[in-house]
Amino acid sequence: MKNERILKTELTRLSWLFATCLLLLNSGCVKVEYSKIDDPAYLRVFNNLNYVQTLGSKDNKVPFFCMLINPVLDGNGMPTSAEIVGDFLDQRDAYAPPYPSHIGTSTSVNNPEYPGKENVLVGPILNGFDLSSWAQVPSGKMRIMFAYRPKNTVPFFQLENQQKKDILIDTVLNLTSKEVYTLHVLQKDFVTKRTGLLLRQEVFQKLPLSDSLTYVNFYNMSAKGYWEADKSLKAEDYLMASFQGGMKDEMNVFLSLYEDQSILNAKAATIPGFKGKYLANVKLNTATSDVSPYVSFPIWASNTGNGITTSMWQRFDFFVPGMDISNNPFYEASTDNGGNWVSVNCLQNGKVRMTGNDNAAILPNLLVNIHSGVNNPKTFATVNTIEVVNGRVYLTTVQRKYAPPIY
Amino acid sequence: MKKLNNVKHNKPVLQMGKMLFAMAMALQLLFVAGCKHDDLSVALPNENIRPAADFVKNNYEMRLFYAALQKTGYTEQLNGAGPFTVFAPTDEAFNRLGIYSTTDFDKMNVDSLKKIIGYHILPRKLMVNDMPSNGIDVRYATLTGPELYLSRAAFNPNGGVENELYIDGVEVIRKDVVVANGILHLMDNVLKPNFNKTVQQWLAEHADYSVFVKGLKKFNLWDQLATGTTFTIFAPNNKALEDVGITEASLNALETGKYIGDRLFGAYILYDRHFFISDSQVFSLINNNGAYNYFLKNDTHYMNFGGGKLYPEFKLGYSLTLRSGTTISDIILNSVTSNLTAKNDNLCSNGIVHHLISGLVTPEQALKK
Repeated sequence: MKNERILKTELTRLSWLFATCLLLLNSGCVKVEYSKIDDPAYLRVFNNLNYVQTLGSKDNKVPFFCMLINPVLDGNGMPTSAEIVGDFLDQRDAYAPPYPSHIGTSTSVNNPEYPGKENVLVGPILNGFDLSSWAQVPSGKMRIMFAYRPKNTVPFFQLENQQKKDILIDTVLNLTSKEVYTLHVLQKDFVTKRTGLLLRQEVFQKLPLSDSLTYVNFYNMSAKGYWEADKSLKAEDYLMASFQGGMKDEMNVFLSLYEDQSILNAKAATIPGFKGKYLANVKLNTATSDVSPYVSFPIWASNTGNGITTSMWQRFDFFVPGMDISNNPFYEASTDNGGNWVSVNCLQNGKVRMTGNDNAAILPNLLVNIHSGVNNPKTFATVNTIEVVNGRVYLTTVQRKYAPPIY
Repeated sequence: MKKLNNVKHNKPVLQMGKMLFAMAMALQLLFVAGCKHDDLSVALPNENIRPAADFVKNNYEMRLFYAALQKTGYTEQLNGAGPFTVFAPTDEAFNRLGIYSTTDFDKMNVDSLKKIIGYHILPRKLMVNDMPSNGIDVRYATLTGPELYLSRAAFNPNGGVENELYIDGVEVIRKDVVVANGILHLMDNVLKPNFNKTVQQWLAEHADYSVFVKGLKKFNLWDQLATGTTFTIFAPNNKALEDVGITEASLNALETGKYIGDRLFGAYILYDRHFFISDSQVFSLINNNGAYNYFLKNDTHYMNFGGGKLYPEFKLGYSLTLRSGTTISDIILNSVTSNLTAKNDNLCSNGIVHHLISGLVTPEQALKK
């Protein structure tokens, strides 16, 4: 009798426990839908149409876009949905980092690149290079649209209908599976204001690149006629220093490597053998998507580097052919050089200016110094692209996957 | 299990089981309680807030605006469902236009008054936070139909907060007054939309600018003002032109061939731009630069335009400085600061007309050499 009672209590208890477990299990259940793109291509999109808000340009249309891939249009030609939407596409930032790190720090919806802040499937690690700044998109032919949108925080498809009809570009791209692409929205002619796209199929992931050399290539994607145009037509931006007025259509690039990025002076010590070293020739090109050849410099060029970290920084001088640092006729702080001489300093986080006289724009260091393994910081070689667009200069850095920090 | 079957030790085990059971029950209760989302009891909105028209009626600062609403028959609509945004000019604003008492509205054409009053009302609820930060010339459709231009300075280049709002160049002096069926903003001046009127028609209708008009006609600058391109006109009235020695009589005697018309009268025309005076103020807040410099059309002379809040009243005004060239050492022909805020910002279909209190160029300064 007693045993029976115990058994009964046991059973009740067990059933309660079972019910509790079930409840826990059920409430813990979340349905996750994983998206997957078969045969993806990897795409990164930059909006190179830059603008400065001034009184004189207040009536100009702000190049703030929504990118639509394979859009669905209604009868009036107004997009109603799209396979891939890259909304709030703002003008690009001076620096496109190897990782979409602006997600962590930004509170704005404005996206300086696509995918950037978008929560989408991104590229894998290809040949050691981390493609997490490239979005997966379906390969093959796709229709791409860039629609002007007002600069606010309302998602594109929730805008009022009349605001969804202003399409800047509507074209078809053909992407090959597993290839890496960068797509640029560009102004192609400064006088006629003609705009267009430039799709570049990147090759860095296929090249046998050394991890003790830093690679860089150069593009001039300025609008035709920009540097010739009158100063009053160009946006003033003192941070761009000598780049404000643009540079001539053909330029030679010279590299200087400096020993120490904590000394903010362009007259500081350079590394022997790397003062005004000829590096590359760059021609204006907004028509063909050829990849410029990569040139390199060793990351351990400096004697002060210890094989783990170096505080070396880079300066690139762009001179018109025939001119170099030895016969440069301009005063060192001269920013208005008729497009004959422009320069850029690449050091620290790209936000510090030289203390002495200088005419250079500023960008971050090409070398990535970051905590990895037990070393803080550790210096990594990178693959870079420096692009000059009208009065601006941009740096895109690609980095290999590296060991996580050990604290 | 052995212990469990042992009757002797049954009691403590049973008690422990009971405790576990109770705990499991309590846990479940917690789970259930955790899932329960009570409706938060929010304090009921104050039902005594008045709708827009009643609110205007009960504010003695807006008596003239209320009279205008009554006259144009908007009161009933504004007490209706909404939502509305009302840009309500103060009595002082109407006074500046020469409207001092409610009977002054009786002299006006009701239809045109209705269009203008309807232009002060949006058929939507628009609080300051709904307006784009640092948005310039953001357009909103009004109750009348045509859009008004809204500019808002929200932050400066250093990230600091600014808080100024302008509608068609008129400052909003009190923002976000909540009424039962929308929002009310208090305006420092009356909006001056001219709907389908061109700047040419506007000037032709105002006898005060007749000498200016005559001069424009004389130097072949008049006909372009009826075209579709955009103009900002700094219109000197007859008194202002007299200051620089131009009167109707002297104009009749003037030989056009001897003078540069694009300087003598073209100096008052800014081509291809439409600037409210407030634009200059807004850009000086959000971009640290509210000035605009330009060459006069077909002339070497260089104009500097800048606006802002003028000392000591801190009301919007603007200044024009005309130089013989671009550099600071070039001769200044004249520099005028114009502060009659209420007469500026006349919005026309192809541009904006501002009132200029003094002429810029004397005939001698525009002589051909």
